Amino acid sequence: MPVENEILVRARDLRKRYGDNEAVRGVDFEIQRGEAFGFLGANGAGKSTTMRMIGCVSEPSGGELEVFGLDPHTDGPAIRARLGVVPQDNTLDNMLTVFENLTVYAGYFGIKRKAAKAKAAELLEFVQLTPRSGDKVNDLSGGMRRRLAIARSLINAPDLVILDEPTTGLDPQARHLVWERLFQLKQEGVSILLTTHYMDEAEQLCDRLVVMDEGRIIAAGSPRELIDTYVTKEVVELRFAGRHTTELAEVALGLSGIGAQIEPLPDRVLIYTDDADDTTAAIDARGIRPTSVLDRRATLEDVFLRLTGRALVEEEA
Amino acid sequence: MTTAAAPSTVTASAPPGYPAAAWRAFLLQLALYRHIWHGTLFSSVLLPILYMVSIGIGVGSYIDPAATGGITYAEFIAPGLVCSVAVMMLGNDMVYPVFGGYEEWGGTYLAQRATPLRPVDILNGHLIYAVGFRPLTACTVVAVVLAFFGVYTSPWAPLAVAASAFVSIAIAPWLFAWCSSLKNDAMLNSVFRFAIMPITLFSGVFFPAEQMPGFLQPLVWASPLWHGTELARAATADVAPALPPAAHLAYLVALAVGGWFVAKRVIARRLSF
Repeated sequence: MPVENEILVRARDLRKRYGDNEAVRGVDFEIQRGEAFGFLGANGAGKSTTMRMIGCVSEPSGGELEVFGLDPHTDGPAIRARLGVVPQDNTLDNMLTVFENLTVYAGYFGIKRKAAKAKAAELLEFVQLTPRSGDKVNDLSGGMRRRLAIARSLINAPDLVILDEPTTGLDPQARHLVWERLFQLKQEGVSILLTTHYMDEAEQLCDRLVVMDEGRIIAAGSPRELIDTYVTKEVVELRFAGRHTTELAEVALGLSGIGAQIEPLPDRVLIYTDDADDTTAAIDARGIRPTSVLDRRATLEDVFLRLTGRALVEEEA
Repeated sequence: MTTAAAPSTVTASAPPGYPAAAWRAFLLQLALYRHIWHGTLFSSVLLPILYMVSIGIGVGSYIDPAATGGITYAEFIAPGLVCSVAVMMLGNDMVYPVFGGYEEWGGTYLAQRATPLRPVDILNGHLIYAVGFRPLTACTVVAVVLAFFGVYTSPWAPLAVAASAFVSIAIAPWLFAWCSSLKNDAMLNSVFRFAIMPITLFSGVFFPAEQMPGFLQPLVWASPLWHGTELARAATADVAPALPPAAHLAYLVALAVGGWFVAKRVIARRLSF
């Protein structure tokens, strides 16, 4: 029976090394039952490597890791029996039908054929793929494959669902459908662990998250706590048509003293402030005329930018 | 927002023992076979029959039985054909499917790895299919069909199928290890060029192995298909094998055991990140 505040995953000084490259450099975190926990960071930050260690397919090089109170080194099969995994590249079987992908996968967990069929039908309904039940995976769109991979991860009623970049490569409509399903799972009390480099995804889905950069955790907390701690309430974005990196750095110099912090990016200048109206007035008073001015609430993107000096979007290329 | 009932609870059983886990992994291969069985009919059934008609009977009509130990040429090649079907099946089942299990073309091993199955269970599951299910079904069908050509002169002929299974067991783990270690699909053809094809041609299936040049004899002796064909021919035509049957069997079993340990090591490495 689930225990309140039960710790599902506990990591202490967790490390992973590949030759000379240390991909994860001593991270500490705990994941509680019922929460949606996120690893946020750019590509190569160490998120997926950490997930693989939790998923017991990668042996830690150092530190301590417990999953469900068990040791991944000795209890890998027992831990994996209680996990649901949605890998970044789905790993669905293209030669099998949608329905068979679920029933065959259920067999790996020792779920009896009759129960597997009933569960598969139920999960296809949940991810809205029932009409495609008899189709081959090759005939599905990217969003449908993702939803099928999510359904597959739920076949064993896992204690923790691990999703690696659940909406990467999906169009906006498909992303929202995936979010919808994940949000519903979260409401049902399913524990979720996800990696993402989409800030909106992290804000939508995560109760708590850690920001990773170069193998380290550089911040941890709820999305709101991170925003409150690391950035101001509002951000003013200035764009100058035809002016880019170096010129914008010069513009930023001309803005110094306005707001709490100024961050020149390749395509725009950000001013962190607690009062956007005062800030825009100050810009105007200095005779600086941007092509466009946008004031908005601060987001996790701003937190990442503030902490690392880099935008996640640039990392995607 | 669209709503749907959240999934209910089912109970997954405790982590399985090795035989149960291998069986679970095997069920994937069986599910895949349901989609491809008709495509393998040509290679597993029709091709051996064509060989028998064209070479066994056609070419055989020009061959003096004295050259094949006193039996007709059709009787000579029939047991080898049964065993070579096992090799052909391995070419189908252990080359592209194994390579594709890791990342490209679906990554079925990667999917299995995220479940309670261990790498060794995935290996064993594939081997059950490739050395148990497939050769025994295909070789049995071929053996039965060849019986209609009147090529068996011994009541022990059904044991030719068992010999073919030993050929399969001896080769399969090595193919598994080889294809698991390849990182580039362009290299897959080399498995056919340097393993499947030479084994099929130079193992005493179509002509007595002693006809091969002396310097190639060690290759013949190393070939699992030669050992299997010797055993199968003893069963179907009551011809004394080159070595005592136990020696042929021991060689095939030794290859199988050695190959299994190598394959186990390779898959464990490939599926640990």
